[in-house]
Amino acid sequence: MADVAVHTDHAAPDGHAAVGHAAMHTTIPGLSNNKLGMWLFLGSDCLLFGGLISVYMLYRGRNGTGPGPDALWDIPLTSVSSFVLLMSSLTMVLAVSAAHRDEDAKAQTWLSVTALLGSTFVGAQVYEFTSFYHEGLGYTTSLFSSSFYSLTGFHGVHVTVGVIMLLTLVAMVSKNKIPGQKAEAIEMVGLYWHFVDVVWIVIFTLVYLIPT
Amino acid sequence: MAIIERPSATPATAGAGAPTFVPPSQAMGIFHRPVATTGWKSWLFTVDHKKIGIMYGVAAFAFFLVGGLEALLIRTQLAAPDNTVLSAGLYNQMFTMHGTTMIFLFVMPMISALANYFIPLQIGARDVAFPRFNALSFWCFLFGGIFLNTSWFLGGAADGGWFMYQPNASNLFSPSHGVDFWALGVQITGIASLTGAINLIVTIINMRAPGMTLWKMPMYTWMILVTQFLLVFAVPVISVALFLLTFQRSFGGQFFNVDAGADPLLWQHLFWIFGHPEVYILIMPSFGIASEIIPVFSRKPLFGYKVMALSGAVIAFVGFGVWAHHMFASGLGPVSVAVFSASTMIIAIPTGVKIINWTLTMWGGKIRYTAAMIFILGMIVQFVIGGLSGVTHAVSPSDTQQTDTYYIVAHFHYVIFGGAVFGIFAAFYFWWPKMFGRMLDERLGKWNFWLMAIGMNLTFGPMHMIGLQGQPRRMVVWPSKLTGDGLFNLGFWNRVASVGSYMIGIGVIVFLVNIYRTHRKSNTASLAPLDPWDARSLEWMTANPPKDHNFDAIPTVHELDEFFHRKYEEVDTEHGPKLVKTTTAEALLAEQEANADEHIHMPSPSYWPILLAFTLPVISYGIIFSIPLAALGGALLLVCAFGWALEPSTAPESDFDPPAEAGPSKELEHVG
Amino acid sequence: MSFHRNEQVGTVQDMHSSRSSVARRSTSRRAALAGLGMLGLFLAGCAKDAPQDTFQPAGENARTIDNLQRPVFWIAGVIGVIVFILMGYIMVRYRDRGQSLPEQTHGKMSLELGLTMIPTLIMVGIAVPTMATIFDLAKTSDTECVVNVTGQQWWWEFDYPVQEGCVSGGIKQPIVTSGQMPIPTGTKVLLKIESRDVIHSFWVPKLNGKKDSVPGRTHTLRMEVDEPGIFSGQCAEFCGLSHARMRMEVVGLNQADFDTWATNQLEPYEAPTDPLALTGEATYAAQCSRCHQVDGLKKDDGSLIVSQPELYVVSGAAPNLTNLMTRNTFAGATWDLLTPACRDKVWNASPEEFGALYLKGVTRECLNEAELRDWIRDAPNKKPMYTDPTKLEPSDGKVRGMPALGLNDDQITELIAYLLERK
Repeated sequence: MADVAVHTDHAAPDGHAAVGHAAMHTTIPGLSNNKLGMWLFLGSDCLLFGGLISVYMLYRGRNGTGPGPDALWDIPLTSVSSFVLLMSSLTMVLAVSAAHRDEDAKAQTWLSVTALLGSTFVGAQVYEFTSFYHEGLGYTTSLFSSSFYSLTGFHGVHVTVGVIMLLTLVAMVSKNKIPGQKAEAIEMVGLYWHFVDVVWIVIFTLVYLIPT
Repeated sequence: MAIIERPSATPATAGAGAPTFVPPSQAMGIFHRPVATTGWKSWLFTVDHKKIGIMYGVAAFAFFLVGGLEALLIRTQLAAPDNTVLSAGLYNQMFTMHGTTMIFLFVMPMISALANYFIPLQIGARDVAFPRFNALSFWCFLFGGIFLNTSWFLGGAADGGWFMYQPNASNLFSPSHGVDFWALGVQITGIASLTGAINLIVTIINMRAPGMTLWKMPMYTWMILVTQFLLVFAVPVISVALFLLTFQRSFGGQFFNVDAGADPLLWQHLFWIFGHPEVYILIMPSFGIASEIIPVFSRKPLFGYKVMALSGAVIAFVGFGVWAHHMFASGLGPVSVAVFSASTMIIAIPTGVKIINWTLTMWGGKIRYTAAMIFILGMIVQFVIGGLSGVTHAVSPSDTQQTDTYYIVAHFHYVIFGGAVFGIFAAFYFWWPKMFGRMLDERLGKWNFWLMAIGMNLTFGPMHMIGLQGQPRRMVVWPSKLTGDGLFNLGFWNRVASVGSYMIGIGVIVFLVNIYRTHRKSNTASLAPLDPWDARSLEWMTANPPKDHNFDAIPTVHELDEFFHRKYEEVDTEHGPKLVKTTTAEALLAEQEANADEHIHMPSPSYWPILLAFTLPVISYGIIFSIPLAALGGALLLVCAFGWALEPSTAPESDFDPPAEAGPSKELEHVG
Repeated sequence: MSFHRNEQVGTVQDMHSSRSSVARRSTSRRAALAGLGMLGLFLAGCAKDAPQDTFQPAGENARTIDNLQRPVFWIAGVIGVIVFILMGYIMVRYRDRGQSLPEQTHGKMSLELGLTMIPTLIMVGIAVPTMATIFDLAKTSDTECVVNVTGQQWWWEFDYPVQEGCVSGGIKQPIVTSGQMPIPTGTKVLLKIESRDVIHSFWVPKLNGKKDSVPGRTHTLRMEVDEPGIFSGQCAEFCGLSHARMRMEVVGLNQADFDTWATNQLEPYEAPTDPLALTGEATYAAQCSRCHQVDGLKKDDGSLIVSQPELYVVSGAAPNLTNLMTRNTFAGATWDLLTPACRDKVWNASPEEFGALYLKGVTRECLNEAELRDWIRDAPNKKPMYTDPTKLEPSDGKVRGMPALGLNDDQITELIAYLLERK
């Protein structure tokens, strides 16, 4: 069943091949350790968001005396910011393909654009939440508000962490400090970024688009 | 002869006679990267799976003793009616912490201890996929467990039960900080479990020795693989529940506030969607251990290997579909109850298959009753009892009488303590020689077993009766007027249960005495050969204890039970083909050493795991007591994350001391 | 015995073979004896007449469950015994007696499948009646009498709403009581279970399985009693400090006795005639009536006193004491209002005598005065509750349970005299 021999003469490192050791490791399923690890992490993250989404779906109608979705949502604004996030997935793909072709400058550019788009999304969310707050929707206002802010907040934190990772990648590429498979590190962040985007599509649909 | 080198990053200096001095890599420009291989630093900063496994084991066992003490206090309180040994408040803390400690701080980490130590050895690898994450998992567990237990001294431990039902666990009804400590402490240990799970899955899938297909993996590895998948999908759900709990208690989030319209059953669903897979997480590794030990001591291969592997996977899968059987009395409608009752009955079947296969493995065998073997046999017997009582709960009308009574307490202690923990003790006796080069005394081992087994059955056996005859659980006192008539009334059995618990305690002490006696330097009789049990799998094809890099030469695997097949050959005799032992572990090891790999790179120690793990309790104390402290912890977390990401997994040459002028350098380890 | 690493010494197992065969035989014999001993103990071990025994159903619903659980227990027991006998046989028959290495069989799919079919069929056999029972026990359409059950920390309130059933001629005015819940025998009663604070669970084992009382939800539970008698129960979901002291009893009364009971509950208030009780009435109005409702009790100005526990208690309620002495337990049915001798008479009465004995209520001769005094003097000392006035910040100054009122012995004597007349 093993088509390719597994090289185990050193423990596959976490993200950075041992200095001086350039050989590419092939594994039985064809996924490197880092990538498989990232997929598993994203799998667990699905359950995390699944739990938060379930809580929201249960409590979406329970806004007590506070404002509810109908009074608050600005669908056009949120659609634009969702589009921005979607576009950032495209630029992420471009960054990864540039990295595969060893085009550092292009990779850095696309990574920066992705980070910019991601920050724009987060910025739009901050603006959105601030306006909700001024309309009377605080974190502790109602079951609806707590569930909403928790779900979108967790997502926003995921995006922010993604932006930090993207900017770090830009810096590391420029300092040539991603030893070994540069493309793989960028691919991994790409996987994460696409996941965050897909989750947002689900959240946007369930939270904003489906009427209560 | 193998040379373990530190990889050389310094370019060959052309022409110059003396090596140029390259400054060592520095964390944050201040600290040198740790590189020690001996001494306490080598434990604190290690990334070696074997050292991590041992630390996991020692810490988990310490928590076992803490949880055991809590249990003894509970049983002392319940030894007499209307007893006053523990006040109601303290009793509630005691059973909450007993359950939390035993599950999260003993059984789960002990499983990690054994898995960490043996999975790389069983699959012919040199370490796990992400060694620094491995260290992180351990330190998260340790700091999380310590953090959780500091609650005793900081206003009282959690007192809402290990299941922490809402709204009883809200600020209004549980005002002390205990529940906050619980939520954050379990959250931290959850991080340990999740990172460990990802690590082991990648290790098992990607790092098996050449030739070891999934169907040639040891069954213990299979069960650990299945268990880690359970963790990956179950831990995030309890993380969500714990986040909601913390945000409600510490920041006023509205999730379980009934006045605002909340449904208290939300907590129950979230908790048990984790909680049920959790119990399979607890038992499956011991199933794997049984599947290792029974073949070795029956001198036959495991019966129905593929069925065993698949039944484990089926149990895990179906295990995600039975959670509401913990909620049969909670007010689900009859349709939900019927569905979950059916799914719970279904899951009994793959479990029963395993019992059948172990029994058939022993059939026709040549059975040796070592301490490891009798612990496993005890495990099977006790698990069958617990499993059968579990089947009676699957009948949900019956469960509405049984749930929340001592009958349930009996059930889960039979499967967890009688099952999982006895499996763990069997693993101790089985694998001790490999880990420590010494064999635990067999005679003391048998005393250990019988004291624990008889004690356990005296403690939890009567609880079946006590529960069915009306004593609910989580009660600080039981009154005489509810105990019924006759000598063998509930009062009598409560006393018996308390006596039994002390017997268990003595059994555990015997185990500790065994360790002490075994490791006394003067005790040369306990020194172990490489393969004391004539075992079947690759971990025995190593030194005692294994060298840092595990295998001098990574073996190529041709069949299941590879090690066994290297020792035994089928020889034709006049009575037909017979298995004859043609070589020993010692010879195989010597052969490895002769053909050792030339360059073996091992990942280097690192500060970041322990530092990053340390920031988590800092953040947690901050959430409870002082937000600025939490912010500080968060900032430190970011710093550690960056430091980690920027550090290569193997230290460059310049981190090691420069070679001495004359003679062979100290840093190059020559093996063999 | 020392081991030389490089010698072909073989394994520890081989070296132990002769020495341990004796040990092994005695190991398996000891195992067998231990097993038999435990089984024997187990079978002998039932308490007789445990008041909350799930194997002694006293009503239709508990009987339905018992009819299902008994065969299942038998099946489980038989399976267990078969497995253990088989294992015991194998452990003895195939122990190492120095035989050569056994045949290395890897499995036999037909055997596996066959042996898997058996538990599957057994499960199906158990599942079918289980499903039927689940739906039977969930039925609410055929019930004849409704009682609302409300749990709160740490007592149970029972109220009988206006309805056509329960009492001959129907209930015209709601009846409120706590601790003991009388119901007419042979009647299909439907309990509607709610909670005022945390999750509790209503469980009277001889009459039915348990059902949680969850705040914000209403759950139903069928209840039916065959014959007159008193049936013990407990809160069965951990609910905090005094979870162990939150009990209740269901009282079965034949229809005539139940009618009498219901009528008595609604009789108008009679002011006490005994001078001590009269003083007690004043003390009650001053100290107790803030939380504990007594219907018909008037203030000095003649207006009716309406208790307002919602101002003082987190859960918003305290037991209604209008007819305290018609029931015979107090403080969440944790202590008896009756002396042990009187209690035994009531509990052990035959079904024919029970009704009359119960309806007698608590008399001066039968009053368990010491317990009641202790309670009134310092309730939190008897039953841990959150009533320390210095620690009520998390609950906005409200108590969870009955505080110590600081009454002196004379006041308590007056109160008891007054309470004795609450019948």
